[in-house]
Parts: sequence; structure tokens; C-alpha cells
Amino acid sequence: MSNPVMLEVKGLTTKYITRFREDVYAVDHVSLKVEEGKSLGIAGESGCGKSTLALSLMGYYFPPLHYTSGEIIIDGRNISRMDPDDIRRDILGTEISYIPQSAMNALNPTQKIISFIEDVVQAHEPSRTKKDIHDLARKSFEVLGLPAEVLQKYPVELSGGMKQRTVIATSVILSPKVLIADEPSSALDVTSQKMVIKMLKNLLEHGFTKSMIFITHELPLLYNVTDDIMVMYAGQIVEKGTAQEAVFDPLHPYSKGLMGSIIVPEYGLRDVELTAIPGVPPNLKNPPAGCRFAERCKYVRAECEANPVPLHDVGGGRAYRCILSERELRDFYTREAHMREAHQNAG
Amino acid sequence: MKGYRKYFLNKLLWFLITFVCAFLLNFILPRLMPGDPVAAIVSRLAQGMSNTTGVQAIYQQYADLFGTNKPMVEQFFIYVRNVFRGDFGFSFAQYPRTVADVIKSSIVWTAALQFPAIIVGWLIGNTLGALAAYLKGGFDKVLMPVSIFVSNFPPFGMAVILMVIFGVSLKWFPTSGGYGFDLIPSFSWSFIWSVIVHYQLPFWSIVLIAIGGQAIGMRSMSIYELNADYVKYSRFMGIKDRKIVGYVFRNAMLPQITGLALSIGTMVGGALVAEIIFSYPGLGSTILTAVRGGDYPLISATTLIITIMVLIANFVIEISYGFIDPRIKAAQSD
Ligand SMILES: Nc1ncnc2c1ncn2[C@@H]1O[C@H](COP(=O)(O)OP(=O)(O)OP(=O)(O)O)[C@@H](O)[C@H]1O
Ligand SMILES: [Mg+2]
Repeated sequence: MSNPVMLEVKGLTTKYITRFREDVYAVDHVSLKVEEGKSLGIAGESGCGKSTLALSLMGYYFPPLHYTSGEIIIDGRNISRMDPDDIRRDILGTEISYIPQSAMNALNPTQKIISFIEDVVQAHEPSRTKKDIHDLARKSFEVLGLPAEVLQKYPVELSGGMKQRTVIATSVILSPKVLIADEPSSALDVTSQKMVIKMLKNLLEHGFTKSMIFITHELPLLYNVTDDIMVMYAGQIVEKGTAQEAVFDPLHPYSKGLMGSIIVPEYGLRDVELTAIPGVPPNLKNPPAGCRFAERCKYVRAECEANPVPLHDVGGGRAYRCILSERELRDFYTREAHMREAHQNAG
Repeated sequence: MKGYRKYFLNKLLWFLITFVCAFLLNFILPRLMPGDPVAAIVSRLAQGMSNTTGVQAIYQQYADLFGTNKPMVEQFFIYVRNVFRGDFGFSFAQYPRTVADVIKSSIVWTAALQFPAIIVGWLIGNTLGALAAYLKGGFDKVLMPVSIFVSNFPPFGMAVILMVIFGVSLKWFPTSGGYGFDLIPSFSWSFIWSVIVHYQLPFWSIVLIAIGGQAIGMRSMSIYELNADYVKYSRFMGIKDRKIVGYVFRNAMLPQITGLALSIGTMVGGALVAEIIFSYPGLGSTILTAVRGGDYPLISATTLIITIMVLIANFVIEISYGFIDPRIKAAQSD
């Protein structure tokens, strides 16, 4: 607990304003904390607002995304009320950095890698010479296990995995305090995926970034990679805990459903389809007033749909968003586990 | 680089094949036109002559001179030999002027009209298109319909409209010729002024259409590039908008260079309409008179010039484009 907090977010709410002037609340009162040297994983279904959260955390907004409320504090510095031009010059790329979901197309196709890195560095440190920047780039690439020749190439000359790793190395060229990686590996084959994950882990170890947020829709990926995990549903956080807790002892019925995909094989129930949660997430243009998961929840009660459900803090950094008590939920889960076992023995 | 060399040789081979085919057609097609051009010349010369043998003799003399009485195949080989010596022979209709002489005096007018018109149209069009994409809103909403309207105008329509408004009604500019018909080409002020005044209508009739087409292309390329992922990523890395706009317009502009090279290549063909309507003394008007007079050597030579220019433009685009645009280079060496 003694580590300094690199990123603290309090009640961050942002929305898209569509062409038809509708509001889409894709990030709703999100709070989180990442300490120095730590990583946080964020998981959730497609469309639950992960990418929007990633963009919102940068503190720099452009249409159709708009800031509504909340605070972003990077290493003790509150950037929520900073002038956007100042954020761009002093924060983006230096304090907080971003790896886009489609890192494949994130590089300008007609610019050599090194020339883009020059532009990035000079945007923040205009007095740095080219030679100095080249040295910096070569050194970073070497430590991160990327061949230095990559620097002299155009993006089209790189393979998908190499392009992805180049984007990662570029994002941390100025050693940010926070790195936000939005599904950096999901478009890759398994081998490249592993390399990318390994590289991300290395970033923290070698001090290329002081903390990291890793976003993915594939939960198995987070375990063993991040220290903490947050589960998102329909723009809200529904579960928060250590990786161990979130994967092996989830509290929220949604995370429980999602985590089924990892736990079930250990019980030898590979062919039983337990993972898919029936139903679809609510439309964020018009989210339900009460619990957003109620419609798909097995344990739903009348009270669930009446009022917004607050995030229930269990202590020790753990929290979940449900009106049922920890006790009630655990009882349901053990009963179900017993039933599954019985079913398995009978079958 | 090995892949590129193969690509280069492959392209070169295809351009040679295309050239040979085009060369053949340039020779054959004019000669398939109906009518006997030699007879036309003779009847012009022999006006008022009643002596049939005399007329016959003159005909024979001209047929020998132009080589039209020889078999087509033999004519062709003579033509090839002469062309490779740089000799295009006599113009039938403007005898005793040579083809080279006729072309030399008209090509200058075409180049002086077309080069600036194409480049000005390209620059203005691309700037407007880029601005429309970047500024959006009202500017875009006005520019686009106007551009689409203008670029779909048939060239003769644009020329006629300009002629009627600025030439006939307002009488600001003369409506025909490259200079006042009462002047003799020289470096006098009155001649230069006359050339400038005569230049305006044909020039703008070409420029306006070019602007429309370029603006439409540049606008959609720019919109595409502005929404590309690298724009967002560059922003989040703290790079200034001015720099990012630089990336975007460079990328949008590169494909437009193809359009520029092509319009330079097809310059002579593109000049036809404007030159004919304004009776401009360029290659376009020359082609028209050559076709009317069944002037085979002149037709073949002018169409050969067009062929060569188009082929060179295409070849240069294909070969050099990879150096300007790494996206294409990757595709070339595959
Ligand atoms: N530009 C936009 N304008 C309006 N709504 C948007 C826009 N982009 C995303 N949304 C909406 O915001 C919600 C969250 O989208 P987001 O891209 O953040 O989801 P995600 O969790 O990253 O999904 P994925 O796993 O597919 O990347 C979705 O309902 C989506 O329809
Ligand atoms: Mg996403």
C-alpha cells in the first residue's frame, strides 16, 4: 500500500453525442486506482465501453466523445480541468500514453517509423536533436527486443505482429507514468499474441512505463498478466478485485458468468456450454434505470430494476455492483456448483 | 530491389508491346478513311484546267511524291524507316509544308495553353477539396455540388458558355484565334497583349472543369485520411494538429499525382475541344484540319505524339510512384 498512486480516477463519466443528437453514456461513473509498478486489467463484452473508457482516461476529448464529469489524477496532478492544448503538449505521450485497439493501422503509411518517433519526441521536447532521438529509439527498441532496422522502415514493410510491437515501443518512447493498452493483441495470431503480452509485461519491469491498464474481451488473457482486474458491463464497473479474486472467486453474477469460461474446463466440463450468458446488453442510448444487468440475471428480483445499484465496497480494494449480499451470492454459487457436480456424476 | 527490377522490366515490355500496336493503328486507321486526299489536292490545284492529261499528270506527280500509289505494306515500311529518321514527310493538305513544320508551329500553342491550365486546375482543385474535407460545414456544402456540376459539364458546353457570356455578351475577351488576325507574330507589346487576351477563355474553360474533378477526388481522399486510425493515435501521442494535417494531406495528395501526370499525358487530346471552339492555333485544331483534309501523314504524326505522351505519362507514373508512395512500393515488389 506504500506505492505512490500513478493514476487515480474518480467518478469519470463521458458520453458520445451522435449525429442525431442522441447521448450514448458509454462510461458511467468509473473510479479506479493504479499504483506504481502495477497493472490493471479491464474486461467485458464487445460494446460495453472498454475502448471508450481507454479514450476517456486520456483526459483529451474530441467529438463525438464528450466529457461530462469526474476527475483524472496522474501522479498527484489533476488533469480534468486543464486546457486541452496543455494536455496535448504536457500530458499525452509523456505522462499518459495509449496503444489503440487497431494498432495495425495506427501508423502513418507514408512515414518511416523513426520519422514518426522524431515527431512524437519533438512534440514534447522541441529542443532535442535528431541524433539524440535516434539514439533513444535504438536503445529502447534494443531493450524491448525489436531489431533496430525497423526504425528505417515504412509500416507496410512490417508484419502485423512487428507493427503492433513497434506501436507499443513508440507509445512508451517517453517513459509515461501510465500506459493504456486497448486490446493490443486481439487481432494477432497466437504466437504474435504471446510476444505482445510478454513485451507488455517487460515494459513494467524495465521501467518503460510506471503503470499499465490492459483492456481485453478475453478474460483468460488477464490472469497471469495483470495484478488487478475490473469487469465492465454496459458502461459501468460491476466488479473489482485482484486477478486471483476476479478469476477464481468472482462476486457479480455477470463476472461469474464470464469467468465460467476459465473455471469450467478445470472441472472437466468442456463440452457443456455454460459460458455464454443469454440475452444482449442494454442499449446505452437509453439504459435501464435500475441494475443494467437485471434483464439477463438469473437471480433477478423486483427491487433490482427500481433504483440504480451502487458499487458495493467489500474492503481490501474489492467491490461489486449488486443489491444481493456477498453471502447470498456465494450461497447461490456453491449450490450451483453442487448441482453441476451431481449432474456430472449422474451423467 | 530485385523484385522492383523485375517489375520495371515487366512494365517496360508491356509498354513496348502497347507502343507497337498503337503505332500500327496510327498508320492504318487514317488510311482507311474514305476519300482520296491526292485527288482533293489536285482538284484544288487544277481548278479551271480543262486538259485531262494535264490533270492526270499532276495527279501522277503528287501520287509519286506522297507515295500513295505504292502498295500499303510498302508504304508502311517506308513510313517506319522515315519515322525512325525523324522524317514525317510532307503534309498533304498544306503542301509544301512538312509535317514537322506544321506540328512545330502548333505544339507551342497547345503546350502554352494546356500546361498552365492543367497545373493551375490541379492546384486550385486540390486545395479546395482539402479545405472542404477539413473545414466541413458550409464551405463543403457549397463547394461540393458546384464541383460536381462543373466537373460533369461536357467540355464544349463550358467553352460555349464562357464564350457566350464573356465573349459575345460582355465582349471582355475575343472569341477566336490565338492572337489578333491583323497582327504578325513578334515580340511587340501589342502582339503579347493580344495573345494574353485571346488566352483567357480557352484557358479558363479547361481550368474550371479540372478544378471540379480534382476537388471531388481530393475531398474524398482527405476525408478518408482524416478518419484514419493514425490520426487518432498521433493526437494521443501529443503531436500537434498542424503536423497531423500535414500527414493527412500528403497521403491524400499522393494518389492525385497520378491524375496530374495523366492529364499532362492526355494534354493534346484534352486540348481538342477548347482549341476547336476557340479556333486556337494549337495541335487540336491541327488535328481537326488534318482529319478534314485526309492528311494521312499529319494525322499519323499527331496521333503518334498523343500515343507517345500518354504512354510516357503512364510509364513514369507506374515506375516512379513507388518511390513517392511506400504503400505502392510494397505492392510493386510483391
Ligand atoms: N463514435 C461513436 N458514436 C456513438 N456511439 C459510439 C461511438 N463509438 C462507440 N459507440 C458506442 O459506445 C458503446 C461502447 O463502445 P466501445 O467501442 O467503447 O466498446 P468496446 O467495449 O471497446 O467494444 P469492443 O470490444 O468491440 O472494442 C457502444 O454501445 C457503441 O455503440
Ligand atoms: Mg474496443
